[in-house]
Amino acid sequence: MVQQTLNSSWQNVLTKVTAWARINSPWAIHFNSGSCNGCDIQILATLTPRYDVERFGIKLQGSPRHADVLLCTGPVTMQARDALLRTYEQMPEPKFVIAVGSCGLSGGVFHGCYNIVGGINELLPVDVFVPGCPPRPEGIIYGVAVLLEALKAGKRPEPIQWSGSGLDGVLHSGSGLEDHHG
Amino acid sequence: MASTIGSLGAAEAVLKPFAKAINRPQPERLEVSIHPDDLLAAVRALVDESWGYLSAIVGLDRPGQPVTQGESQAEGAIDVLYLFCSGAAVVTLRITLPYSQAAIPTISGITPTAMLYEWELREMLGVEVIGLRVTGHLILADDWPVGVYPLRKSFTGFNQPVAGAEGA
Amino acid sequence: MAADTNKFVIPIGPQHPALKEPANFEFWVDGEIVTGASVRLGYVHRGIEKGAEARTWTQNLYLMERICGICSHVHATAYTLGVEKLAGVKVPQRANAIRQLMAELERIHSHMLWLGVAAHEGGFDTLFMYSWRDRETVMDLLEKISGNKVHYSANLLGGVKFDITSELAAEIHKGLDFLEERNHFYMKVVTTDETFIGRTQDIGTMTTEKAEFLGAIGPTARASGVARDIRVDAPYLIYDQFPVKVMTHTSGDLHGRFIVRINETFESIRIIREILDHMPQGELTTRVPRRIPAGEVVSRVEAPRGELLYFIASNGSEKPERVKVRTPSLCNWSTVLSLAIGLKLADMPMLLSGIDPCFSCNDRSISLKRGQQGPQVWSWEKLRQYGIEYYR
Repeated sequence: MVQQTLNSSWQNVLTKVTAWARINSPWAIHFNSGSCNGCDIQILATLTPRYDVERFGIKLQGSPRHADVLLCTGPVTMQARDALLRTYEQMPEPKFVIAVGSCGLSGGVFHGCYNIVGGINELLPVDVFVPGCPPRPEGIIYGVAVLLEALKAGKRPEPIQWSGSGLDGVLHSGSGLEDHHG
Repeated sequence: MASTIGSLGAAEAVLKPFAKAINRPQPERLEVSIHPDDLLAAVRALVDESWGYLSAIVGLDRPGQPVTQGESQAEGAIDVLYLFCSGAAVVTLRITLPYSQAAIPTISGITPTAMLYEWELREMLGVEVIGLRVTGHLILADDWPVGVYPLRKSFTGFNQPVAGAEGA
Repeated sequence: MAADTNKFVIPIGPQHPALKEPANFEFWVDGEIVTGASVRLGYVHRGIEKGAEARTWTQNLYLMERICGICSHVHATAYTLGVEKLAGVKVPQRANAIRQLMAELERIHSHMLWLGVAAHEGGFDTLFMYSWRDRETVMDLLEKISGNKVHYSANLLGGVKFDITSELAAEIHKGLDFLEERNHFYMKVVTTDETFIGRTQDIGTMTTEKAEFLGAIGPTARASGVARDIRVDAPYLIYDQFPVKVMTHTSGDLHGRFIVRINETFESIRIIREILDHMPQGELTTRVPRRIPAGEVVSRVEAPRGELLYFIASNGSEKPERVKVRTPSLCNWSTVLSLAIGLKLADMPMLLSGIDPCFSCNDRSISLKRGQQGPQVWSWEKLRQYGIEYYR
């Protein structure tokens, strides 16, 4: 409502400021939907002094209502499904989902177990996939950076292509971390 | 090792009155088959003797003959194993329950830790535990279908047909 | 009764900021004092025991490793020890030594991780950052040995994949020196910091009798004076040649659990050094048949959180008939729910993390809800009296 009354140049500035703020300080929430803990600990490790993602403005946030990015680990179990959907729905728009770990991509080693619904993308629109069992903290940071890179260009990450070799590579469509020291 | 054999001997002496069969699958293990009616007395005897602690309750599904199409299945049984540990020694109380009488009394009145294991047994294998105070779902999802027990061999997941998938 | 009608329920989870794993807790409080507690697990239940029946013996090795991302090596060790026992295979001593070395490195990593998380729950984030920074040293060592930081996959059926070369041994020695020094510092913090002691001492105290009655195991039990450790009681791998000392503490409170775990870290460092200095020579692997002879076996190992029990049944085919896993976290749940009653709500995160719960471990197969009945019930009068006494 308010935005419609603004004239277009103000509107442009406002959009730019929000985008700038979002890219420079994405707040993430972490949800474990059935993971073995490996990925969760690697995500936590990104906060600790060795990796320290907070220097990029990335912050792990407790409440979904404050978060921009959902970091999701693990295959989705039947019991966690509703909680995952609810967490996602509570996040304000625009929101992005990063699936971390092989299980989050496809169910991984648990594929075929009876209590597994499947990978995260069966329930939520996933923007970035970070493979690895578990991915290294660097991989997770890179995944977030890929997302931010795409946002900078004003779009969501494009459909997935293989980026390169190595277990800890990131499936992505954008480029690397280099520009994100701001 | 000497003490292990000693404590197994002590357990054997305690459990002898209830035993239908006794064997030693491994040097540190003693397995005693008992009748379901003797369960409480046997557990009580072990606990009164302060022999070890209850370490786990294992349920084993042993279906009857493999199912052939159209025929009704021969009745299978569920083995319930109570594992008691003391040092390196492991004593197993084995109870065999046919599907039609899959019920055992709870031993949680004697060793409270059993409650969790019995709960799991009931949910995963469909063995009714008589006297277990707790109800409701434990680990399975809230919307889990009634009467489906995932660790029964006849359960092969939700995607495939249940019958005829034996031994997959 | 009065407590039933006056209860105020605080639900926490399954998504919540404190713990990184999903579980749903309900604390029934009167003012600030907890009068009842319940937990609904099962958010991480994946159906691994059933899944194991559809996979081959070797495939299961990798499945079992992924039961838990913290103590993956002990799960794989318990599984392989069981299968090897069934197959009647004797594993080379060098392989056993490397397994034990990995297990103790993992224990260091797990205890340091726990120290950080527990400190975080207590609002002591500096210690959290310190211990996690230093933990990266162990992670690096594990990565250098195996190529991965978390699921090392060091075990094979019949041996290990990775050898410890003399260069690696030198690096491990160097890492251990650093870790030992840091752990002395943590010990000092834990035993001298006023605030920290205030948050831990006499909180959640469990007597030896109560620990045995509730079936507590692992460091939680040892902090209450229960000297129970599978590495000593039933030595596996080469714990008979390189014995560990059981670390116990008599206080039984949260503080004791900190001290026991830090002491165990020192003990692990000592054992690793000893193994490195007296590493047996020989092969790394031996042959294990594809079909495992029929039989049933119980395999017990000491995980960082306590006794881990595997029951493995084979029907003589390429796939197991049944794999039953009883994880340590499961045993310790009942201690938390009974200790919670009468404490302040603010102490709950500390108490919860005190047992070092691991949901991915126990959610394979359990959840627990405790009613308000039983000996833990506080009458309204008693609670009120407690409140009056407390704030006097």
